[in-house]
Amino acid sequence: MSARPLLAAHVASFRFHGADAPVLRDISIAVDAGSLTAVLGGSGSGKSTLARILAAWLPGHHGGELRGRLELGASGAGACIDFTGGSDDPRIDPAAWAAHVAYVPQDAAAMLSTVRDTVAGELAFGLENLGIPAGDMLRRIAGTAELTGLQDLLERDPATLSGGELRRLAIGCAVIGRPSVLLLDEPFASLDASGARTVELLLRRLTAEGTAVVVFSSTVDTLSRTATHWTVLGNTVLGNTALGSGEHDGGRQLAAGTPDILLAAGSSGEDVLARSGVVVPGAEVSGAGVSGAAPPRPVRTSAPADAAPVLELKGVRFSYDGPGASERETLRGVDLAVLPGEVLAVTGPNGSGKSTLLRQLNGLLRPGSGTVLLRGAPTDGTSPGVLAADVGLLFQDPRFQLFERTALREVAFGLGTKWRLFRRKQDDARARERALAALAAVGLEAHAGIHPLELPASSRRLLALATVIAREPAVLALDEPTVGLDRRGLAVLDTAMADATARGAAVVMVTHDLGYARARAHRLLRLDGGVLTPLG
Amino acid sequence: MSRGTLSLERLNPLTSLTGAAAVAVITTAAGQWAFSLAVLGGLLALTLRQARAAAVLRAATAILLPFWAALLLVHGLFFPEGRTVLAELGPATVTREGLLFALDAGLRTGVFVVAFLLFSFTVRVPELLSVLSARGLPPRLGFVVVSALTLLPAAAQRIRRIRAAQEARGLVIGRSLASRLLAARLQAVPLVLSLVHESGERAQALDARGFSGRQPHTSLRTVPDSVPQWAARRVLLVLSLAAVAVRVALALFGGRA
Amino acid sequence: MASPSPQQPSLLLPEAPKRRRLLEILGAASIIVTYVVLVLTQPTDIAAGPGSLAALAALGGFLLGAVLLVVAVLPTLPTSTVVLIPIAMVLNIVLGQFVGSTLVPFYLDAIGTVLVAVLAGPAAGAATGALSSIVWSLFNPTVLPFAAGAALIGWLAGLAARAGVFRRFYLVPFAGFLSGVLGGVVSAPIAAFVFGGTSGLATGAIVSAFRAMGDSLLAAITKQALISDPADKAIVFTVAALLVYALPRRSSFQFPFVRRYRVLAGRAPQGRGTATQA
Repeated sequence: MSARPLLAAHVASFRFHGADAPVLRDISIAVDAGSLTAVLGGSGSGKSTLARILAAWLPGHHGGELRGRLELGASGAGACIDFTGGSDDPRIDPAAWAAHVAYVPQDAAAMLSTVRDTVAGELAFGLENLGIPAGDMLRRIAGTAELTGLQDLLERDPATLSGGELRRLAIGCAVIGRPSVLLLDEPFASLDASGARTVELLLRRLTAEGTAVVVFSSTVDTLSRTATHWTVLGNTVLGNTALGSGEHDGGRQLAAGTPDILLAAGSSGEDVLARSGVVVPGAEVSGAGVSGAAPPRPVRTSAPADAAPVLELKGVRFSYDGPGASERETLRGVDLAVLPGEVLAVTGPNGSGKSTLLRQLNGLLRPGSGTVLLRGAPTDGTSPGVLAADVGLLFQDPRFQLFERTALREVAFGLGTKWRLFRRKQDDARARERALAALAAVGLEAHAGIHPLELPASSRRLLALATVIAREPAVLALDEPTVGLDRRGLAVLDTAMADATARGAAVVMVTHDLGYARARAHRLLRLDGGVLTPLG
Repeated sequence: MSRGTLSLERLNPLTSLTGAAAVAVITTAAGQWAFSLAVLGGLLALTLRQARAAAVLRAATAILLPFWAALLLVHGLFFPEGRTVLAELGPATVTREGLLFALDAGLRTGVFVVAFLLFSFTVRVPELLSVLSARGLPPRLGFVVVSALTLLPAAAQRIRRIRAAQEARGLVIGRSLASRLLAARLQAVPLVLSLVHESGERAQALDARGFSGRQPHTSLRTVPDSVPQWAARRVLLVLSLAAVAVRVALALFGGRA
Repeated sequence: MASPSPQQPSLLLPEAPKRRRLLEILGAASIIVTYVVLVLTQPTDIAAGPGSLAALAALGGFLLGAVLLVVAVLPTLPTSTVVLIPIAMVLNIVLGQFVGSTLVPFYLDAIGTVLVAVLAGPAAGAATGALSSIVWSLFNPTVLPFAAGAALIGWLAGLAARAGVFRRFYLVPFAGFLSGVLGGVVSAPIAAFVFGGTSGLATGAIVSAFRAMGDSLLAAITKQALISDPADKAIVFTVAALLVYALPRRSSFQFPFVRRYRVLAGRAPQGRGTATQA
C-alpha cells in the first residue's frame, strides 16, 4: 500500500434533522496530494451536502445525523473519526479541520467575515483569530495575494469586487491557512469567461503545488474534464420521473473512475452522467435519458411572425446616479425591435450593462432619454407593477427574486388580481390553480409546500422561472437563465421558451454562454460600450 | 469646515471616547445649567471645526428638538412642586421652578448628546474595536458591532432588491398610507428571512476561520497613540472621578443631592 | 469513538466554554442594586433641579451592568447565535428609529431582540438587547442609558420561549405584556433621573397628564411606562413570533435552544404545514 490518502471518507448515510430519508447513502471518496477530483451530480444529488460533510461544516454540529467515517492522512494530523449518528458523536473543531481541509461554498460571499473593509484585512481575519503575529501575517497575505492574483486589490473594499475577484478572495481566505485539501462547490457558478479563466488557472496552480483539489459541479467544465478522478452522484429529485419506479438513486454513488472511462461508458449505453443530470457540453442537452417524456419541441419553432414588434427600444440612454455619472453612461443609445415569437440573445463582458438593459424593459429602471415601447405604446407612464403583466423578468440571482415562505405562495404572488390587504377567496383559488400549473411546468409540483430557500440552487432557479411564466407575459426577459441548471433544468428552460414563443411571446435573454445562445436564439447581439451590435 | 488642527479624527479612538464620557460625567456631576450651557457652547465650537460638522448638527437637532419640546410641555406647564407661579392657563400652571428644571435637564442632555455624537461621527469604528479588544473586551464584541454597522446600508439595498422583485411580479405601490404599510410588511418579512438564512452559512464559515478559537487574537491593524494622548486620558479620568467625589461629598455633608 | 493519533488530538472540539457566572451575577446585581438605590433615595424635592447624583448613579450602574452582561455572555454563545445578533440589532435600530420619528407612543425597538431570545435563549436575548442599545447610541446617544432595560426584555423573552409560550400563539401577547410591565418599571428611573422626562411628544403628553394630577416625576413616568410599554411589548412579541413562524424550519431548528426546549410547536423540520402556515 502506498501512502495514506490525504483525505478519505465513507458516508454510510446522512440525514438532516427530522428528515424522513437520508440525502446521502453509501459514498466513498479518497484524494491524494496534488490530485484533482471532480464530484459530479445534478440538482438535488446532495453534492453540496457531501462537500460540507468533508469540510466538517455539518457532522455532529448543525443540522444532521451522519453515519460513517472521516479519515485525515494529512501531514502530521493522521486521524480517523467515526460517526454513528448518535448525540454522543465526536464534534470536530471546524478551525482545526480547516487547517487541513478547506472549503469554499457555492456562494463565495458567505465565506467573507463582512467586518473587514479591505481585501488584505479579510485575508488576515483567519490569521488574526489564530493569533499569528503581524509580521508573519503580512508575509502570508503577500504570498496568498500573489498566488490568487489579488496583489493589486489588497486595499479594495471586498464589497466592491467582481464575481471572479470575489471567488478568488474566498479561495485565498481558504488557502491562506495552507490546507492540504481544498474543496470547492461550483467554483465557476455565475462567473463570466474571463473570471472563470482566472479561477481555473488558480486551481491548476494549487494542484501543481501539491494541494489536493476537489470540485463539486453539475457541469463537466474544462477543469473537471482534466480531473484525475470522477465520482458521479445520483439524482434524487424533485419531480424526476426518469426512473419510473418508486426507487430513486438520489445521493447514491452511481459511478466512480477516470473521466475517459465514464465518458466512454456514456456513449455505449449506461450513461450515468445523463442519469444524474450532469451537463456535458458538446453532448445533446435536451435529449431523452433525463426526462423519459418526449423531447421538448425546438425553441426556435419557426421564423418569427411577420408582425409589428412586440417590444421596441428607441435611442435608450441610461446612467446610474452618482459622481461622474455622465462619463460612465451605461447605455449610450440602444435601438432594438423584437418580434412576437422571436428569441434574442444579448452577450457582452461583465459590467457592460446587460442586466441594466433588461431592467429597462419592465420599468424597474427608466431611460434617461429615448423610449421603450410595448406593443407600440410607450411605457414611461406605467409603473413596473403594471408592466409586470406583459414583461416577465427572471433575475440573475434567484435569491433576490424569491421571498415567499412556500414555493406555491411564491408563484402565486400577485397573480390574477391587484394587490390588496385582504384578497377575495375566489381570486385566491384562481391564482392557486395557475401557480400550480406553472410549478408543474418546471417539475416542482411535488414541492409546492417547501420553503424556497430550502430548495437546491438549481431548483430555486426553476422556481424563479415558474414565477415568470405563470403570468404568460408577452416578453420574457431572462438574465443568465442557464447558470447553475443541470440537464433537466436546461430541458425545462427549453420547453418554457418554446411554449412562450409558440404562443407569440418574445424572449430576450442575456447570457455569457455563447454556445447556448447560438443554439437557441434567432439573433445574437453584443452589448459593449453602451451600444448593441449584431454578432455572427 | 476644513479639517483644522482640532480635527478629532486624528485622535486615538480611546482618547475621544474618554473625552466624551468625561464631559458627560463632569457636566452631570456639576448640575448647574450655566455650566452646562458653557460646555454645550464649547462642544458646538469644536463641532464646527470638524469635517462632518453638518452631519453631527443634523443628528443632534433631530434628537434634541423633540426632546426639548417634550421637556417644555411636561415641566413648563405642569410642575406641582413649583412655588413661583408665572402664569395660569386653565389646568396648567407655568412656574419658575418648572422652567428652570426643563432648562437644567435640557442642557444636560444636550451636552450628553452632542459629546457622544461628536465622538461617534469622528471615530473610525474598526480602530476603536481593535483598541478595545487589545484591552480585553471579547473580540466577538467587535465582530457584532462592525457587522451591524455594515449591515445597516446592506439591508437598505436588499430591501430595494426585494421591492424590485415584487414590482417585477405585479406589486403596485401607491401613495396611500395603507399601500405603503402593505409594501413594508411584504418586504420586511423576506428581508429578515433571507438575512437569518444566510447567517447560518456565515456562522460555519466563521468557525472554519477560527472565529471561536480561544487563543488570544492578534491584529493586523496598529492604531497610532502618543504620550500626550495617554496623559490626557489620565487627566480626564482623574477629573471625572474628582467631580463625582465632590458631588458625593456634598450630598453626604449637606448641600443638595 | 474517535481514535485520533497521539500527536494531533486537537481535531475535536474541546469542552464547551465555561459560563462566566461571576460576571453575569455582577452585571445583574449592578442593575438591581442601582434600581433599588434609585427608588429608595429618590430626591423628594426636585424643585431645585434634576438630581445630579441620581443621574450619575442611573447612568453608571445600569451601563456597567449592561456591559458586564455582554462581556459575560458573548464568549459563551455559539457562532450561529453571534451572527444572528447583528441582524437583530439592525432590525431594532431601523424600526426603532422609524417609529421614534412618528407620533405613536410606542417604540417597537425590540423585535430583533425578541427574535434572538426565542431562537437562542435568555442570555443571547439579554446580550442582544444591551448591544443594540450600545450600537444605536452611536446615532442617538439618548438610548445608551436604557441598555439595561433592553437587556431585561431580551432575557424575559428568552425565559418565555423556554417555558414554551411560543408554542401557543395566543399566549405570546400576554408574555409580551408582562415583560413590558417589568421593562417599563426598570426603565422609568432612567427617563426620570437622567433625562428629566421622556424623549417623545406623545409620551410627554401622557406624563404631563399624571403630573397635572400631582404625581411625582418618577411616579408619573412609571405610570406612563406602564401605559406604553406593555402594549408595545405585546406587539413586539407578536411580530417576532410571526417572523419565527415564517422561518424555514431548517433555519430555526439549527439552533440548539429551539431543539432542546421545544420552543416551537410541531416536531422537527420537514413538517410543512402547522406552524409555518401561521
